[in-house]
Amino acid sequence: MAQRIVVDPITRIEGHLRIEVEVANGKVTNAWSSSTLFRGLEIILKGRDPRDAWLFTQRACGVCTYVHGLASIRCVEDAVGVTAPPNARLIRNLLMGVQILHDHLVHFYHLHALDWVDVVSALQADPVKASQIANQVSPAGKSGPSDFKAVQQRLQKFVDSGQLGLFTNGYWGHPAYKLPPEVNLIATAHYLEALRQQARTARMHAVFGAKNPHLQSLVVGGVSCVADLNPDRISEFLYLWKETKDFIDNVYLPDVLAVAGFYKDWGAIGGTSNFLAYGEFPQGEKEPESLFLPRGAIFKRQLGKVDAVDVDKIVEHVKYSWYEGDKALHPSVGETKPAPSKLDTAKEYSWTKAPRYMDEAMEVGPLARVLVAYGRGHEPTRKLVDDALKQLDVPAEALFSTLGRTAGRAIETKIIADAMEGWIMELVENIKRGENRTFASYEMPQEAAGMGLNDVPRGALGHWIEIKGQKIANYQMVVPSTWNLGPRCAAGKPGPVEEALIGTPIADPKRPVEILRTVHSFDPCIACAVHVIDPRTNEVYKFKVA
Amino acid sequence: MKPVDRQRKVLVLGVGNILLRDEGVGVRVIEALSEGYEFSDGVELLDGGTLGLRLLDPICEAQYVIVVDAVQNGRPPGTVYRLNVEELNRRVAFKNSIHQLDLLETLAYAEILGKRPAVVVVGVEPGDISSWGTELTGAVASKVPELIRCVLDEIEKAGGRWKRRE
Repeated sequence: MAQRIVVDPITRIEGHLRIEVEVANGKVTNAWSSSTLFRGLEIILKGRDPRDAWLFTQRACGVCTYVHGLASIRCVEDAVGVTAPPNARLIRNLLMGVQILHDHLVHFYHLHALDWVDVVSALQADPVKASQIANQVSPAGKSGPSDFKAVQQRLQKFVDSGQLGLFTNGYWGHPAYKLPPEVNLIATAHYLEALRQQARTARMHAVFGAKNPHLQSLVVGGVSCVADLNPDRISEFLYLWKETKDFIDNVYLPDVLAVAGFYKDWGAIGGTSNFLAYGEFPQGEKEPESLFLPRGAIFKRQLGKVDAVDVDKIVEHVKYSWYEGDKALHPSVGETKPAPSKLDTAKEYSWTKAPRYMDEAMEVGPLARVLVAYGRGHEPTRKLVDDALKQLDVPAEALFSTLGRTAGRAIETKIIADAMEGWIMELVENIKRGENRTFASYEMPQEAAGMGLNDVPRGALGHWIEIKGQKIANYQMVVPSTWNLGPRCAAGKPGPVEEALIGTPIADPKRPVEILRTVHSFDPCIACAVHVIDPRTNEVYKFKVA
Repeated sequence: MKPVDRQRKVLVLGVGNILLRDEGVGVRVIEALSEGYEFSDGVELLDGGTLGLRLLDPICEAQYVIVVDAVQNGRPPGTVYRLNVEELNRRVAFKNSIHQLDLLETLAYAEILGKRPAVVVVGVEPGDISSWGTELTGAVASKVPELIRCVLDEIEKAGGRWKRRE
């Protein structure tokens, strides 16, 4: 007899996500992903000046704010027909790089690691042994027995007080946790270290963006951080970058591979079939040819066959979503007409629309980017992926899994961190030879339409704009979390998270840590997919989570 | 040479902005030292860049600090100096960064905290510290081996040991 489990809300994420699964014989047999809050930015933007759109769209979220700013700027630039000069492109790449490094660090340590790391077990660890293991994992790390002892003492205080504080609500002691106490201790110590590191990494955004979150330095046609293109500021950025890169090379990537070694069974769980990457980091004016991380689509896990992307083949379905009608529309003519009703997994069950590419649900995000880059023969990606597969002694097939998604995120963090040095130096070389342009001028047309694509921490992001009378007539955002966490389409095909959950083993339905592992591996952050705003009054709904 | 007291930490600190040619010579010396040499326990190399006040922590933790930097003292470019920090004054421009606290101020803070280590400066007269560029001028680049030798001598005087990397 099948049993239904509802996890609502899924915690340790951004936004409000509800997952319902059917379990039979210890495995998930069906799954439904619901975003239970409404976004509505599209409605707010109507009638406004297109040049202001980016300031609104980056308020879609408080986490990866910059990405919606940049997608919006690119979208308006496409519509008005202007190309930002090289220095602006480089600054934007650097800021996007920072966004990804920061998000991935925080995601792995603070949102995902506790699905694999039993912090309470760390109390049983021998600090001397932990120090030996830590030095084997990364010789560059500095972890003496006294450091680990100190972490244990801090942890003991939490436990003795009967309050686990930020570690509350974990399924501690669950048999699905496989790490020895010493590895749990190392990971807990790095969890705390990563808290400090992420704050320093975020400061890079402030150097060229004035602040974090919600950067201030973009304009349609370029960037406005003109006064910061001096040796002091660039060097400040460079040093924060160096520190972050050290952490990625010596802590993050080694940790992920070390932990993965204990969970190789997850290399066969939580996979999806199709992958879409818009690509990111333009290295010249031509797209997608100049993108550092390439654009492409992979169907049915065929790594050797990466298709070009035809953006005309993107549509959003609303059959199972709380919107009027049931027409699947291209985002350039998309509609946002909310029609809330009861949550019913057989009828309508989400505020998220269901985007499809060539009629298929596509996984987007770090794994999709890594697979597309790998399939296209991107050298740094090939090397790091092959090294990781070899170190873990798993076949390439293991990439299509919860484990692959988590490892892929760490691998791309390193790829981007490594590439950023080149962009910093390119900026220096430009300024050195007198190339100081940061802005290109343009005229706002009466009527125009445009599209802005980027690939952001959680995956492929697209903004579409229609301008009439120099004002926004229509605006649509198709965000990564809509791709990954959306419901079924009109044809009844499940979304990527729904697909990934099917087949997942569940040891104890009362403590379904396995569901969290796969859902969290997508880095769900549905703030951009849904918001809590009444479309008529713009009033924020109050909601209570029991 | 006598072994380093385990408590006696020698910090070799290269400072400067690597984007302004000879300004970055201190960092370049640190890079060459870490590539080419190994050191006994208690000797630490640090690329201090333009970190200014954030260097307070490593400075306070050390017992002996060897600073490597460009020092403007009015001699021909490439002139190598060994200075006690007391010999440095404002006339000797210890240029670190116009926006950030310079090293002298950071040392003054360390003194207020009661944790100022002994400091020696191995410096070189720069040729160009105002043009953009990551490479040293010829006059300074040719003195990097001499600067390295000076630093190795200072490490020995402070009780540290070194050997060439295989």
